[in-house]
Amino acid sequence: MNQQAKIDQQAKIELWNHCENPYPFVPAEVLDQAESVRASLPNKYCDPKIAAQLYDEVFDEYQLCDDIGLNIVTNEHHSGINNLWAASPVITGVVARLTRKVRILSLGTLVTVRPDPVRIAEEYATIDVLSKGRLEIGFVKSGATEMVSGDANPMRIREREWEAIDLIEKSLVTQDGPFSWEGKFYSHPHVNIWPRPYQQPRPDFWAATSDLPTCAELGRRGIINTLLFGGYDRTRQAFNAYKQARAEAHMPRAPEDRFSYMAFAYVGDTDEEGLRIGQKIAWFLTVSIKSSPQFSKFQPGNVAPEMAPAAWRTGASRRPRPTNLDAEMLIGQGQMFAGSPDTVARQLKELRRRVGGIQHVIMMTRQGLVTHAEAEKSFNLAAKEVLPQLQDLPPIDDDETTWLAQRAAAK
Amino acid sequence: MKPGPLDLDVLRRGSGRPIVVAHGANPVSPKARFVDLLAEHGEVIAPSLPGFGNSPRPDDCDTMYDLVNVYLDLLDALPEKAVMIGLSFGGWLAAEVAVSGHPKLDRLVLVDPLGIKLSGREERDIAHFFNTNPAELTRRAWHDPAKRPEGIYGLGWQADIGEAMTDEDMVLLARNWDALCIYAWRPHMYNPQLRHWLRRIAVPTQVLWGAADGIVSPDYGQRYASLIPGARFASIAAAGHHPELEQPQALVDRIVEFMGQPA
Repeated sequence: MNQQAKIDQQAKIELWNHCENPYPFVPAEVLDQAESVRASLPNKYCDPKIAAQLYDEVFDEYQLCDDIGLNIVTNEHHSGINNLWAASPVITGVVARLTRKVRILSLGTLVTVRPDPVRIAEEYATIDVLSKGRLEIGFVKSGATEMVSGDANPMRIREREWEAIDLIEKSLVTQDGPFSWEGKFYSHPHVNIWPRPYQQPRPDFWAATSDLPTCAELGRRGIINTLLFGGYDRTRQAFNAYKQARAEAHMPRAPEDRFSYMAFAYVGDTDEEGLRIGQKIAWFLTVSIKSSPQFSKFQPGNVAPEMAPAAWRTGASRRPRPTNLDAEMLIGQGQMFAGSPDTVARQLKELRRRVGGIQHVIMMTRQGLVTHAEAEKSFNLAAKEVLPQLQDLPPIDDDETTWLAQRAAAK
Repeated sequence: MKPGPLDLDVLRRGSGRPIVVAHGANPVSPKARFVDLLAEHGEVIAPSLPGFGNSPRPDDCDTMYDLVNVYLDLLDALPEKAVMIGLSFGGWLAAEVAVSGHPKLDRLVLVDPLGIKLSGREERDIAHFFNTNPAELTRRAWHDPAKRPEGIYGLGWQADIGEAMTDEDMVLLARNWDALCIYAWRPHMYNPQLRHWLRRIAVPTQVLWGAADGIVSPDYGQRYASLIPGARFASIAAAGHHPELEQPQALVDRIVEFMGQPA
């Protein structure tokens, strides 16, 4: 489909389910005493039998999503209570075979901690074939504890990530290889992946970032820009940088399908239920990101040197970690969507309006202490009662009331 | 001073026989007492390595190989033969320079140098600079952390971010930390090949070690010295990883004594 046709089609929001498969079963006193709950917490605290049960539950949830029309996101983090998906391509490969219809986004394997982007391209091409063209490939800059767990140099991550993306892309689209690559960070004299991807020329790329120069580069490349918990203003700013870079490069306007946003989400029967269970999601922020200073603010490259005084004296990581984040506060900041189906639909339309258009909303629902049953309930309500309200939306620049009146008159 | 094409920030003090210093995690501070003590015996020449302090780092200057060549350029530019002193990370650099060899290099002093792998694959020779809690780094790096000189920074400086530390110092410390990471994240603070080539060091060498160094042990130091032909080893009492900061007089006395000995 050409860009103009994409703009002309009816706007809609698609919903994606992202579960990090957290492990919230380590005793609180252990977590309180631990210097960091990532990277250095011994794995004796992870019971593989509980992990197996969690995998079963989340894969069941993914199959439910396939039945009801919620797309699926996987990712990876390492060595910590926040995430048991240690290898996104492995998990995504399983999802590819367990599902038949929905799209699958790997957001993503951590390219900056992996030594060979060609292997990553090969893994993703395999998944794309397995899923018969349902794969989307996401990139995340990563950092902090991941650099420690993966023993990857935390300096120059962004340069390394771009070179990895370039090499992955060329590996995916080249059909008359082998080709040779001798770059700054990677060298591979004989690149020729089999199979090649199912989608031509390659699966769509996504990248998670709110860094404005990076957003601009995504815009020039047409890569889908997703923000993670960015809040309304930061997200709008990021998308504007994307759009402006395209305008300055005399490229066509980006359709809404180039924009995505991830936040906590819980859809209940009522607002009260949505908020009550949504509150359990906040464990992600209150417990699962506890990290020692050498794995965070003092890690090389964590802040630009000229920003160090502010970051070290008053930066967020100096504050004690929050212990009672309130669901309503998160909703106010645009970091959580929770309530009854009508409420959540309204919140998502509000999001779309406030960020200047968006097609993909990634819901982090099975997070923290939310149970399997609670997650499935929210997915069912999201698919059956929220999603229908997000189809056939007015063009982002139009006033909804006027647009509805015009449509009624036309009929 | 321009060693080769790079415009490095260079601390110079005193006059006479060149005493070239290669710094550790942070550039040599002009306030450090050992600089004055050394300057009584020659001209101290202590560049900030590319990316450290106020020295620029070209994009492609990012390996120990580059730093070795920076020092070979520097030695080229000297009017006469020099003593080279390497501290910690700079000790690794000085050992590499001495292995390369240069006609202007006539004596080598290594102070708690890093740079080689000695023990088994499951034993760490050198504490991880970046993955260790700053409080633990401080405990390991200093004989008496309470007596650290104010405004002069060794390992573990992150444990003491307070009002006394100026914004300017913090920006420089962040630059240093970032640059060190570029050069030495992996393998962490050593060159797997260097151990086999230390035998090529052909100048008189003195290895000095803080007796209380918990970053890299005196035992490692003795084995390091034994791999350099003819090298002498001595420990400095009541000092950790930074004898030049904790015991400047004792350290400089040792260095001066070594400089005066016949080759």
